[in-house]
Amino acid sequence: MSAIQIIFWFLSALAIVSALMVLISKNPVHSVLWLIMVFFAISGHYILLNAQFLAIVNLIVYAGAIMVLFLFVIMLMNLNNESEPQKNVWMRLAGAVSGGCLLMILVSLVRQAIEINNKVAEMKVGDIGLIGNLGKALFKDYLVPFEISSVLFLSAMVGAIVIGKKN
Amino acid sequence: MNAIILSALLGVVMMFASVFTENKIAIRNIAIFGLLILLASNLLNIYTPYSFNVDLHNMLRFDSFGLFFNSIAIVSTLLYVILSGSDIVKVGNYPAEYFALIFFVLCGVTILSSYNSLLMLFLGVEIMSIPLYILTGSDKKNLKSNEASLKYFLMGAFSTGIMLMGIALLYGASGNFNLEMIREKTSIAEFGILAPLGLLLIFISLAFKVSAAPFHFWTPDVYDGAPSVFTSFMATIVKTAGFIAFVKLFSLRMADLGPSYAIILPVIIIATLLVGNITAVFQQSVKRMLAYSSIAQAGFMLFALYTSNDLSTEGILLYAAAYSIATIGIFGILIKMKDYTFDGYNGLAKKQPLVAATNTVFLLSLAGIPLTAGFFAKYYMLASALKSNGSALWLVIVAVLFAAVSVYYYFRVIQAMYFKDGDAETTEIDGTFKFVLVVLALLIILIGINPSILLRWYYF
Amino acid sequence: MTTLLAIDWALLTEKLILIAIIIFASLGIALYMTYGERKVAGILQDRPGPNRAGPFGIFQPFADGLKLIMKEEIIPDTSNKALFILGPGLAMSAALMTCAVVPWGDHVELFGRNIALQIADINVGILYVFAVVSVGVYGIMIGGWASNNKFSLLAALRGASQAISYELAMGLSLIAVLMTTGTLQLGEIVKQQMAPGHLWNIAYQPLAFIIFLVCAFAECNRTPFDLPEAESELNQGYHQEYSSMKLGFYLFSEYINMFISSAIMVTLFFGGYDVPFLNESLLSPNIAALVGIIALMTKIVCFIFFFMWVRWTIPRFRYDQLMNLGWKKLVPLALANMLITGAVILLWFNK
Repeated sequence: MSAIQIIFWFLSALAIVSALMVLISKNPVHSVLWLIMVFFAISGHYILLNAQFLAIVNLIVYAGAIMVLFLFVIMLMNLNNESEPQKNVWMRLAGAVSGGCLLMILVSLVRQAIEINNKVAEMKVGDIGLIGNLGKALFKDYLVPFEISSVLFLSAMVGAIVIGKKN
Repeated sequence: MNAIILSALLGVVMMFASVFTENKIAIRNIAIFGLLILLASNLLNIYTPYSFNVDLHNMLRFDSFGLFFNSIAIVSTLLYVILSGSDIVKVGNYPAEYFALIFFVLCGVTILSSYNSLLMLFLGVEIMSIPLYILTGSDKKNLKSNEASLKYFLMGAFSTGIMLMGIALLYGASGNFNLEMIREKTSIAEFGILAPLGLLLIFISLAFKVSAAPFHFWTPDVYDGAPSVFTSFMATIVKTAGFIAFVKLFSLRMADLGPSYAIILPVIIIATLLVGNITAVFQQSVKRMLAYSSIAQAGFMLFALYTSNDLSTEGILLYAAAYSIATIGIFGILIKMKDYTFDGYNGLAKKQPLVAATNTVFLLSLAGIPLTAGFFAKYYMLASALKSNGSALWLVIVAVLFAAVSVYYYFRVIQAMYFKDGDAETTEIDGTFKFVLVVLALLIILIGINPSILLRWYYF
Repeated sequence: MTTLLAIDWALLTEKLILIAIIIFASLGIALYMTYGERKVAGILQDRPGPNRAGPFGIFQPFADGLKLIMKEEIIPDTSNKALFILGPGLAMSAALMTCAVVPWGDHVELFGRNIALQIADINVGILYVFAVVSVGVYGIMIGGWASNNKFSLLAALRGASQAISYELAMGLSLIAVLMTTGTLQLGEIVKQQMAPGHLWNIAYQPLAFIIFLVCAFAECNRTPFDLPEAESELNQGYHQEYSSMKLGFYLFSEYINMFISSAIMVTLFFGGYDVPFLNESLLSPNIAALVGIIALMTKIVCFIFFFMWVRWTIPRFRYDQLMNLGWKKLVPLALANMLITGAVILLWFNK
């Protein structure tokens, strides 16, 4: 087992356990913190794939900005165990069963998929994830979606103002 | 490309319009003028070589199908703004921003009509959806509007997640976002399970966007809760754009989904028709009935996915036009009503004979009565199914039965207007409004008599 | 070397030693910054400042540290214990992590090895700094929330919103700098500024520097932006319930942040370890590295002094003023700077 493999398994375990903890935690603040752990683990995976820019941006945008706002809202609303609505046991059961079915199907499909059978993720190779190459790809091949996504953000900004501004 | 760029720019223009004028009528007029420019630019794109020249890297492809649909969407929006523009500016304090958001939605619509890459599909769906979440919640003091907005946003975000997962799987299977490349790479015999799985997830997400059962649960609440003017927009232009995106993606892809597709789609069609039509029968509010009827209409539009031939392509365009025009008219009248229940329409024919008459035309069109556009729209859909596949006969028969059911609830409105006594209270109805209603009704009858009036532009 | 796990153990050891040195140096500097702060305050307010422990009071930091360690450790009963402890730790580690990408000098040659005086010259260096800074907010937020005290919570929310708001302007101001440098590697940025015929970046991007400086003040929660610890409004701020060394960690992390942000500013705008008018390549590597480190430290100390000077000169902003400054002044200014820089590069240097 090489060092990279050890790190890979560690990060994978961390990501999965943290993701589970997001769901299991009773306290919403803990859930958010575990979710941040998931982002860190995923960023670690990006680094293993030599996609440093993506790793860092994942941290800046998700862990650094979006989750802070999440935490913000949850702290302000003072959500805790008591204020959490009690869910119907049958609803929970139904949710668990249907979610489990989906998981089973996805897992079994992915296991059978010939595209990924007997294939190993290539770690630490390729340089498309480096910022210079990524920039070239974004501003040459993917210029149209890149520019058009600005419309998306603009509309979201207009919307935020329409919704958020006091009358 | 003209329509995409200009609609985004016009959105910005509308944003700045609010800086220079507070006059709501002026803002509406700017929007109408903007839509005319948009229409002209789109027509230039179709019939002349005048178009923005952008290196697209094959991300977008402008074929006559997409561009023609753009025209339908823009004309529908134009009619909608002329008809209901004075009600849009009344919703809240940001009239210019509402129009800006409508232009952004149009930008998304025009992307969806011409995307050639899954990236653009995603962007188009998002650009179309996000302004809608806002418009749904624009009646800020109304709890129902807020609830609808939140519900729509959460469900929409969820479906976006599913779509992204699907796109990721397709990308994993083919190493490409480009539709043709995906088609090429995944249609060789060796392809595995990832591509169909990805397609299935995208299918689910798009089915959500067009509110096909069993992904329709958000529709009644959102359509009911949103301010009626925006429900009108959502139920027409946006919904048909969702179908265009759907058709573009799946028209040539059915074989890849394998035999399961042949089972899934009829089930979804029948479920959608069933849920839409049967539930609509039991509604007391016309607005909610229209929400369910839009689900029912989606069931018919899904026939365009069931087959892919000339008839279905023409049919979906015709359906988009017929359905949009009629629904815009019905909602335009609904907005003017003070009481949204069926009883609220009692005696409308005596008070406002012209409005009642045009409303009847629209309802007949939705029901698919001959001599209206809706008839040919449904006819093309069912005929295309029969043409490509003889065994689809049973599906067609089921659809016809449900169309008969739909007559019941559409006629309830007509019955209330003409055969019940009552004092249908409306807000002020001016001459322009009536004039536009007549234009809409005439359009429906014209297309209903001769659909090639519309379709010849497609082959022009 | 050994091939266990296919790691270059010598490199690892070298880096670990470097990390240890830098961390201890940062801690030591932060320690003496508390002393410096009090001395500067003394000078500015025309009083002697600490002068009892040792000559000129230079052992004062140790006395303070000892006091903090010896104090009784109180964890409030109603607090969230795990997070209460995690908070200061996060604040501290986020503060220390930033120094990984700062180039402290060129390189030294020891035992036949060529040792770079930078822990990691990653090619997204400056973004790394941003990521760590943005994660640093959690220290404040978690600590404030876990205390289960409304003043702490309010202070934490203030701190977080302030940090997020100013991060934006900071990032935008940096884009203009990165346009001129063309790289995000901090080591490379310093080398460019050292090159003959090339001035320090401050000469090309004065506006970006000013915006960055203001934002750095806000990110470090320093006066005039120390709203998270505005004692007149919030008792004491997010660390109100903290005592002993946990409090010490929060106070310390603030000084380390100040130190690191000074280092970043020097690196980005003031040539890093460059000594003006001196051609370092003529010196032997070790001497050059030493001179470089001294130059870097001198510049950093100037900045730290500036931080303190401002603290004892300018009163605190009100919260709405803070937000107005951030969103309505700095962000547009940074955007304009970015546009102008872009236009100039496109029109004049586009060959």
